[in-house]
Amino acid sequence: MMSAVKSKPSYLPLAADTGGRYHLLLGLAEGSACLLRVLQELQNFAPASWQRTQVLFASTRASAAAAEIKADPFEEIGFEGAVLFTDGAALLAHARTILERSLMGTRVYIAGPESFIGRALQLAAAFNLNKDEIRAEHIGTAARRVHCVHCRAGTEDVRTNIVRCSGCSRWLLVRDHYSHRLAAYMGVIVDAEAPGELPPIREIYS
Amino acid sequence: MSAVFKLETFRNDFSFRNSPAAIRRFPLPFAQDEYMYSVNIEPHVPGARDSVLEFAFDVDEHYVAECRERELVLAEDPRRFQALPHMMSAQWDCLELLMDSLARDYPQYFSLTKTGNRWRWINRPLELDQSFIFGDARSLPRAPLDYITRQAQGDFVLMDQREGDLWIEAGMVTTQADWSLDFDLGMTFKEWHGPVPLAHELNVFDRALKYLLNLRIGQPVRRLNWTMTVHPRLDTSPENYPQWGPDRAAVTAENAGDLVHLRVELQGLWRLPRSNAVVFGIRCYLISVRELASIPKWARRVHRVLKNLHPALVDYKGLTRYRDAVVEWLAPYDDGAPTSPGAAPE
Amino acid sequence: MNSAQTLNVVVTAIEQVTPLIKHFTLAAVGGDPLPAFSGGSHIIVVMHTPARAHRNPYSLLGSPRCLDRYEIAVRRMEESRGGSHYLHDHIRVGSRLEIAHPVNLFGLDKIARKHLLIAGGVGITPILAQLEELQDGSTPFELHYAVRSPQHAAFAQRLRERAGASLRMYYDSENQKLDIDALLSGQPLGTHVYACGPAGLIDAVVATARNLGWPGSHIHWERFAAPPVGDAFEAYLARSQRSVRIPSDRSLLESIEAAGVEVPYLCRGGVCGYCRTRVLELDGELVHNDHFLSDAEKASAASIMPCVSRARCERLVLDL
Repeated sequence: MMSAVKSKPSYLPLAADTGGRYHLLLGLAEGSACLLRVLQELQNFAPASWQRTQVLFASTRASAAAAEIKADPFEEIGFEGAVLFTDGAALLAHARTILERSLMGTRVYIAGPESFIGRALQLAAAFNLNKDEIRAEHIGTAARRVHCVHCRAGTEDVRTNIVRCSGCSRWLLVRDHYSHRLAAYMGVIVDAEAPGELPPIREIYS
Repeated sequence: MSAVFKLETFRNDFSFRNSPAAIRRFPLPFAQDEYMYSVNIEPHVPGARDSVLEFAFDVDEHYVAECRERELVLAEDPRRFQALPHMMSAQWDCLELLMDSLARDYPQYFSLTKTGNRWRWINRPLELDQSFIFGDARSLPRAPLDYITRQAQGDFVLMDQREGDLWIEAGMVTTQADWSLDFDLGMTFKEWHGPVPLAHELNVFDRALKYLLNLRIGQPVRRLNWTMTVHPRLDTSPENYPQWGPDRAAVTAENAGDLVHLRVELQGLWRLPRSNAVVFGIRCYLISVRELASIPKWARRVHRVLKNLHPALVDYKGLTRYRDAVVEWLAPYDDGAPTSPGAAPE
Repeated sequence: MNSAQTLNVVVTAIEQVTPLIKHFTLAAVGGDPLPAFSGGSHIIVVMHTPARAHRNPYSLLGSPRCLDRYEIAVRRMEESRGGSHYLHDHIRVGSRLEIAHPVNLFGLDKIARKHLLIAGGVGITPILAQLEELQDGSTPFELHYAVRSPQHAAFAQRLRERAGASLRMYYDSENQKLDIDALLSGQPLGTHVYACGPAGLIDAVVATARNLGWPGSHIHWERFAAPPVGDAFEAYLARSQRSVRIPSDRSLLESIEAAGVEVPYLCRGGVCGYCRTRVLELDGELVHNDHFLSDAEKASAASIMPCVSRARCERLVLDL
């Protein structure tokens, strides 16, 4: 239908930013693999950097199909002191307390499903951290949080191109236009011009 | 006053019409028989007498009706006006720009007197008389940008300049062509324009952004943008798409001339002095296809532009359902004769 | 910038505030309010001397809330090409000057959580105006001001009134050194640092901040170095079809302007990129003195910033 939307976020594989002085790693589920890679790179660059590195990790399973994730995968490479959680919300609440004490020169690394990244970026923005200080890698489910432009409700964990709004029950087209402020994709009624005529519903954000 | 300003509606019975004079001064955005994007920015300097470009902010016969329509939109949805806290200085800058310009260019309608910080603003068409202290938000009944844009035609977006970019962080948006301030608030210039197809491949927004970052005080710029709307409806917001979306399916080759309107945005951009922000004014002009066709050159021109429009643009501008009907309605007016370059009616 | 976009002002006061710095107060001819501006802005002052025209940038140091005057401070430069000497020696109360509208390349970041202001000598000027904007107390700030000695601290009274306990002075004469590393090491997230003063101070702040991992977007500086001097050379302007001779003590930009050709400009200091000019032919080498082009762009010699850069060449053809 429409050509690719340039406001859709794009992510790159995480790599250690050796220009940073302090490193805060935040990961959910499959994101542990990305954080491990960053830790290895930091250690290769300067073993002392681990003393200025913190890791927060939540091992929640994003979907039944996800491989079993170890509770503390970081001990295996010798990194001690990773703080473990069972859900992303608790992890981010703790991250907030760390950011309140953090200093300029900090780099934040985020790895996990997109909605976790979105929440983490909202938190980082509150501390005036910008794209030069944050790196994010999307791994795991592509399920989206959708913001209904009509009733403003948020619908979580959306995997289909069309979704019923959790607030007003309209059928929404899940667009690629993304708001960092809301950490959500735009949802607009899909059948305004021909009420009741829905395009085929496909699971495309799994 | 009532002879000049019409009481007309942009909803329900859609009584909006253009007078012959309004038709002739309409800013047709097509200088030739084909259309494609460009960075068509030019200095916003005073244009021809009686044209829409004569003054910084054009006030026309629809002024009072448009202000009433804005009040209706805001009553239903107050979130069409938003401003992040750090944009207060930019709000005052924009209030000053609008008040200074309107009082200078339309002294018959507006007066502004200043004694130091104590200002008095009189708006005769809307019967307002407001004394206030410039810079003191408590002395106005609403936030500065909210207050003044309820007395101006068109939408206004304020962009903060920082980190080598422009950020959409305040605005009054009630006459938009399908974009949501509430959703887009906080985006950068390019993110905001993310959904526009093709233009990114042409680097249009990179070049526009670079230009705007260097915008100077006292040297505003302008450009034209366009789309089409069914009925003279100003509020074609995503929020209200359930209300106006169905209209698109109501167009036929018989009624296209009256239902379908060309919607032209005259966009003006000013550097604001105290905040160093940029204000983006988006002024919306509507004209029915029938009114357009009353000017023979325009009938031929618009017929050709629409007939040959790039499919991605047809889709993005929301014309898919009715473009063919409009082309069919205009076809009898196009005898194939050449059209002169430029948009002026002959 | 167009020559049409200037304002005529009259000097209403001159004060020697330190042995080297003079403070000029300007008002609009006719007494109208001057254009509003944001803290950190500068104006270009155009001075017509018998020998040539000078166009020098000076920061506005006064309050953005007081638009009945503009205030600038001019340091007498030892190796001056004339601009500051002209202002110090030939301008009196009642003299008229031509100025351009304010431009801001050194504004405060509006969503910063803290502002760290570092100034040396006459570099305090843009920071004075920024201080006015910080008076509402919504964002914490610190001001660190390094000068040779107490008598060289310009506007000390105004600084104490505006910055109070957030002001820290460093007197070289009393061996008080500004420890940039210590200062930048302990700043909370969301701090922006702003530096204005001698090149050495700015370079140290920028380098230290980068070393400590501050991102470029949080490091701001304002430099008003005079364009560097160098060997005389010639350039040919292809579109204007004229040849221009650039003497050793005049910049390429000034020489082109003297030949009657206008080049867009903003900062005249090699930072903003506005005067970027295409090089059509070069037999020799460009001497890049700007801070705008990337290393790759400088190496490719496809562009030059005429406000500060020069050439050593047999032939130079520019797209002007």
